Amino acid sequence: MTGAARRRAILGGAIAAGTLVLLAALVLVAGASPGEALAALVGGSVGSGAALGETLTRATSLVLCAAGAVLALRAGVLNIGLDGQFLMGAAAAAAVGPLFDAAPYAARLALLLAAAAAGALFAAPAVWLSERRGVPPVLSTILLNLVAAAAVTWLVRGPLQDRAADYPQSRPLSAEVRLRPLAPGVRTTAAFPVALLLAAGSGVFLSRTKAGLKIRAAGASPAAARAIGLADAPLRAGALLGSAAFAGLAGGLEVAAVTGRLFDPFGTGVGYLGIAAALLGGTGAGGATAAALFFAALGAGSSALQRDTGVPAAVATIVPGLLVLAVLLVRRRLSGGEA
Amino acid sequence: MPQHDLLVEAATVAENLALLDSSAPFLEPPAARRSRVRRIAGTFAMDLGEPDAPVADLPVGTRQRIEIAGALAADPGILILDEPTAVLSPDETASLFASLRRRADSGHAVVLITHRLTEVFEAADRLTLLSRGKTVKSCLVSQTTAGEIGGLLLGAAEKAEGETERRTEDLRLGGGRPAAAEKGLQVLSVESVVPAGTSAPPASFSLEEGDLLVLLAIDGNGADTLARCVAGLHPFSGRIGILGRPLPAAGAPRAFRAAGGRFVPADRRAEGLVAPLSLEENLALPTPPGRLFLDRAAMARLAGERLRQHGIRAESPASAAATLSGGNQQKLVLARELDDRFGPPRLMVAIHPTRGLDLSAAAAVRDRIEETRRAGTAVLVASSDPEEAGLLGGTHRVVYRGALSDPLPPETSLPALGRRMAGLES
Repeated sequence: MTGAARRRAILGGAIAAGTLVLLAALVLVAGASPGEALAALVGGSVGSGAALGETLTRATSLVLCAAGAVLALRAGVLNIGLDGQFLMGAAAAAAVGPLFDAAPYAARLALLLAAAAAGALFAAPAVWLSERRGVPPVLSTILLNLVAAAAVTWLVRGPLQDRAADYPQSRPLSAEVRLRPLAPGVRTTAAFPVALLLAAGSGVFLSRTKAGLKIRAAGASPAAARAIGLADAPLRAGALLGSAAFAGLAGGLEVAAVTGRLFDPFGTGVGYLGIAAALLGGTGAGGATAAALFFAALGAGSSALQRDTGVPAAVATIVPGLLVLAVLLVRRRLSGGEA
Repeated sequence: MPQHDLLVEAATVAENLALLDSSAPFLEPPAARRSRVRRIAGTFAMDLGEPDAPVADLPVGTRQRIEIAGALAADPGILILDEPTAVLSPDETASLFASLRRRADSGHAVVLITHRLTEVFEAADRLTLLSRGKTVKSCLVSQTTAGEIGGLLLGAAEKAEGETERRTEDLRLGGGRPAAAEKGLQVLSVESVVPAGTSAPPASFSLEEGDLLVLLAIDGNGADTLARCVAGLHPFSGRIGILGRPLPAAGAPRAFRAAGGRFVPADRRAEGLVAPLSLEENLALPTPPGRLFLDRAAMARLAGERLRQHGIRAESPASAAATLSGGNQQKLVLARELDDRFGPPRLMVAIHPTRGLDLSAAAAVRDRIEETRRAGTAVLVASSDPEEAGLLGGTHRVVYRGALSDPLPPETSLPALGRRMAGLES
């Protein structure tokens, strides 16, 4: 056990060091000094109250999508559709929010519920296709992502379009309905603590509840789960729908807290990044949340990087992809060490 | 020639045979592909189905013939066949062996992997007997007899002759429990059951309270599959009822359990346990204690009790089930299956319950099964080990190529049993 833990620590350190070296090399290629780049990254993500606020704002959707990805992964389902479910949640929030201008609390509650429901509903075809027709959810959810993106394009030019504006965007939520910043000068709203609470809740659900144990059993060994009499199909379906509801809620919070309306294109691949965070975090709720916060800091920092040093922000956003690939590369070895 | 065909299901017969033909050109007109099917079917006197039929729609027998014909037509220097006759009719088997003989006579090597002794003595020049990965005997077929190999196969003839006699004496099947005078309650009824995907003849039998039936078969003859049908894990045609309640033919492990069924699978790591979960969690499934949240204290109490009761040696109740030895894993499976939290077990189905276990673990498992039976549970065991079967007691039937024999007389000796399992006697 201790040998495996030590090997894990060494490999983790090697991955982090390798990523830093590669990042430094990319910065050099872009014609800047790695030291300055690092300072810009750190300063832009956690260096000031505003920077930290930016990081936490970006982290909100990511934390929820990562928690959703973990929930599905633990049930043995790879939900690639988080991005589409996020978009549908955002669309539902943008549609429902403006209906209740007079009652802000009712409006918030209604738009968040609608967002979660829309996310889950958008995963329902994947559940049906998987259990009745044997279509792998990986395939159906990735295709549903394309449907969601196209639906957003249509919605902001059709049923949801703001008649008062020339741009393809939806009617804005009223200022009363939109979530307010927690402190003056930062963008962070109550959405962030809500996301953290929900992620923690999903972790508690998986490890401490009866349904969570059954889901983990069904995910770890579908054959055993079936043979010992667990209803493995409903467990998988429930986990996938719950995962999609998390992504939908993330979309709803993005509208309520950040954008105030739907436009096209909306997300920036937050669903995919959520899967990456879940994998990097070892498919545990705590690890996934930590990875999501790290990715959000990297995102906020990379804006500062571009502004201060002229290095393209894309250089820093290469990091999540590289990290996850490195983790997947060594994961076999890690799990081999445990057996 | 693998045991289960590796044909491309979505492709047609003609396309599959083209894939198996290494000399097929890169571009080939459909007509040429169709004529290849007819040519090969003619050469080896096998019905390969319509050239344009998708392989997915064909019965298993035809698919096996396509695979065999494709392998033969490729004219390889060495042909290795793994259980090629499992789904062939006797005529087709004879014609396959004739083709194999022609190949051998023309100077090509043929390796036949089989569980069926008759095939060895029908088709082969030399034989190598493997048991648990070790070579037990390797010789010319003409230098031995089916009886000797049958004995070796069952691991009983290794000893000196006198000792063999004594062991054989010891290992008569025995009568198990004397037949009850009064009729017990019928627990399991199996009527004309044919496991899906097999060409076995319909099987019928029934079990009453406290009955123990051992289905003895060399692997691949269908005893496991029949037991899995009863446990709701393999679809079937026909009727299976537990205490009068019919089981869905599509297979429903939950219905089996709801009727009082308990199952000990052949592969405990894959089906018996959720290997990465802890002992506590494994023992708590499928209905963990607690309302919404897991009652961890109750789980720990339950695990402590079960580990003690069943003599399971583990580092801690929190360690993963995967870390246990095979014997302790099997005890863990039994501890969960026999847990009285789920109500009294009415029917227990166990497949190779002591396979791969050391002597003391095997004895403990047998004791558990016997206790359960004495408490009135009907027990169905599938086994390939006559020694295990003898030690378990109860009634015994042999399954050969899917067909169920009548109950064996208690005085059946071990070698006679081996000959029946190998299909040398019926």
